[in-house]
Amino acid sequence: MQIPRRIFIGSSLALAAATAARPSHAAGNSDLTVGVPTNLTGLDPADVNDTLSQSACRLMMQGLYGFDKDMNLIPVLAESYTASEDAKEFTFKLRTGISFHDGAPFDAAAVKANFDRVTDPANHLKRTSLYEMIDHTDVVDPTTVRFVLKNPFGAFVPTIAHPAGMQISPKAIQQYGKEISRNPVGTGPFKFVSWSADTLKVTKNDKYWKPNLPQLASVTFRSVPENGARLAMLQAGEAQFIYPMPPEMIKAVEHNANITVNNAPSIYERYVAMNVMKHPYDDLRVRQALNYAVDKAAFAKVVWNGYEDPADSPIPPHLAFHVAQQPWPYDPAKAKQLLKDAGVGDGFDTEIWANTVTISLRAMQFLQQQLAAVGIRVKVTPLEAGLLGSKIFAVQRPADSDLELYTGAWSSSTGDADWGLRPLFGSQAFPPKLFNVGYYSNKSLDEKLAAALATADSNKRAALYADAQKLIWNDAPWIFLGVDRNLSAQSKKLNGLYMIPDGGLLIEEAALTA
Amino acid sequence: MLAYFLRRLAGTIPVLIAVSVLVFGFVRMLPGDPARLVAGPDASESDVQAVRLDMGLDRPIYWQYVRYVGDIVQGNLGRSSRTRQPVSYEIGQRFMPTFWLTLAAMGWAIVAGMGIGVLSGVKRGRWQDQGGMVLAVSGLSFPPFWLGLLLIDMFSVRLGWLPTGGYESAASIVMPSFTLGLGVAAVLARFTRSAFVEVASEDYVRTARAKGLPERRVVWTHTLRNALIPVITMTGLQFGFLLGGAVVVETVFAWPGLGRLLVDSISFRDYPVIQAEILLFSLEFILINLAVDLLYAVVNPEIRLR
Repeated sequence: MQIPRRIFIGSSLALAAATAARPSHAAGNSDLTVGVPTNLTGLDPADVNDTLSQSACRLMMQGLYGFDKDMNLIPVLAESYTASEDAKEFTFKLRTGISFHDGAPFDAAAVKANFDRVTDPANHLKRTSLYEMIDHTDVVDPTTVRFVLKNPFGAFVPTIAHPAGMQISPKAIQQYGKEISRNPVGTGPFKFVSWSADTLKVTKNDKYWKPNLPQLASVTFRSVPENGARLAMLQAGEAQFIYPMPPEMIKAVEHNANITVNNAPSIYERYVAMNVMKHPYDDLRVRQALNYAVDKAAFAKVVWNGYEDPADSPIPPHLAFHVAQQPWPYDPAKAKQLLKDAGVGDGFDTEIWANTVTISLRAMQFLQQQLAAVGIRVKVTPLEAGLLGSKIFAVQRPADSDLELYTGAWSSSTGDADWGLRPLFGSQAFPPKLFNVGYYSNKSLDEKLAAALATADSNKRAALYADAQKLIWNDAPWIFLGVDRNLSAQSKKLNGLYMIPDGGLLIEEAALTA
Repeated sequence: MLAYFLRRLAGTIPVLIAVSVLVFGFVRMLPGDPARLVAGPDASESDVQAVRLDMGLDRPIYWQYVRYVGDIVQGNLGRSSRTRQPVSYEIGQRFMPTFWLTLAAMGWAIVAGMGIGVLSGVKRGRWQDQGGMVLAVSGLSFPPFWLGLLLIDMFSVRLGWLPTGGYESAASIVMPSFTLGLGVAAVLARFTRSAFVEVASEDYVRTARAKGLPERRVVWTHTLRNALIPVITMTGLQFGFLLGGAVVVETVFAWPGLGRLLVDSISFRDYPVIQAEILLFSLEFILINLAVDLLYAVVNPEIRLR
């Protein structure tokens, strides 16, 4: 979960007036430059937790399974898998004839080496907990690998497809140890060249296992934190793809003959969590009232310049097992009636928290105005990242939490409903363990979430998650706000580069025309 | 002179020790758990705990300080908790960009600022003075990020002469150094002018004129030399500030400098990097002060260093 930073939004409007694009410092015809907002934190997939670094890893590395551009689960280094009835054993058949960039063969032993590494707590890797359900990994034969789990885990294949499951050359792990993060070696379409302060360079892997790919000779990621300057890179022809594209600058390049703005769905769902252990949010009628009191269409328009879809479930449409629910219509009169019924007809004072990113401030101010209309007086308090951590996510006991309302966003990085629901709504997910910051608890929901994990049967899981979504939607522990759009911009000469709904980039098939 | 130099150098050691204690204490007084920030927003409690152990944050604070000082003495600044790279590497790859940017910005700012300042001082009250001071005030009032974006729009997007940013070619430094130097040039212009005007009304300047010295010698030898002393002090201070990184200019022009590194490190509570950067800045200021003191003696030989 990484929320794009938007710095100096207002001030950057100066550049928005710019129109003429003149390629000046463009590189060769098959060299792609991508303008990104922040610096990479590392290139070891088992040790990074931001989408940008994962995108960078995806240039060079691949997993047994992965996602296509629409976030569908697809086999990559594996050909197929079978799961045991009890969802405790998963066996993968691997593709043959694939080598890592350093010549080491990709086989079952390599897979075992990678997962033994990430599951060993002694390695202090940031992704160890993602794979904590793995008991051990067996090499059945050179092209068959079997994972034996500690407990049933029906969402195992999406978890394997998570960017953290990308495979590194075991030879390189031996050679570089902790420094693997600066010397990544995978099986992917591009090979590592260099990574200095804010520039990553990779070059074509001539021995790539997919025929006729990649078409690009090289890819460069340059981190340009300022929105206006990043857009200027594209206008000046220095970059052929940039993200995020700030929504308020889209008008300025709409009519530019050389630039296309991409507006694609994402799996970032925005919400307001209510602390259901605190009065008056312990009353269902109050939570319903807040959902009636907020105009989601206006939220999309005011906060996101229209580039936001209304939320129709606790999970976004591009997540597996999503089922659309009946929307909460905008009805302030009904909201007032519900508040009256709940004994808070005169309104009440409350406080809302969020991070300090511009878009969060705008969202909080919008909510303040909307709730004021039904008599709820909201104090807006932005919290810097460190404070946010200690005041929300590190709280040891529910009773110690001062949280009343919190607005944030969540993206299930496995693309599966389990990681979209369990960490946010499960009774076992209270801070500091996971992120159920409103302390919502529903026994029936817990049972359904557990049952859905106890089977690898997609039909059974779909039915259980359909029930789970309905339960949560009706209990309304959140104000369900919306689902973000992924906004990016690119040169018209570029095609085949995709931003997938989790915010990652797929560059394998990208090509530039003259 | 050499003895003075060595004594001053030795004097930096207690200052650096004091700074190390202060900064060690201050970063730990910041609210927020560094392990949680490093582990990331979707990390579970066990991930956070793993990071905490890895960073040694579970140990008592005096143990952490002893380890930190012990490492520094051995020339080991530790590892960044965010990227797990050695701090010396993180700072190393950003020091030279900041150094070049500072040098380029200070270079033109000194020439332009002092030039305008002297001209305004000599032509006090005339149009040159007024024009120079209007320039200086404008330079001070221009918000750097605004100016930076205007420059990018003009010279990169419209004209295509210069790259929008980055640290790639010699051309990349033109716009950031201009933007960064503008405020410094303005400060120096105003400062030089007022120092010049003050010295010009001294008795010895009047005496120089009265004994019939040519105006050029009065200006250059008698007035400017003495006026330079406070100007050098001010220049040294500005130099030190710029070496500490320039967050806004670095952000607008994607310049990989120390300022952005510090801000990023603070928001991630990356203790080792924050500590090392502050120590580095202190060391830079100490050295610059020393250089300034030595320069006094060069400019005005009547000042003796003991």
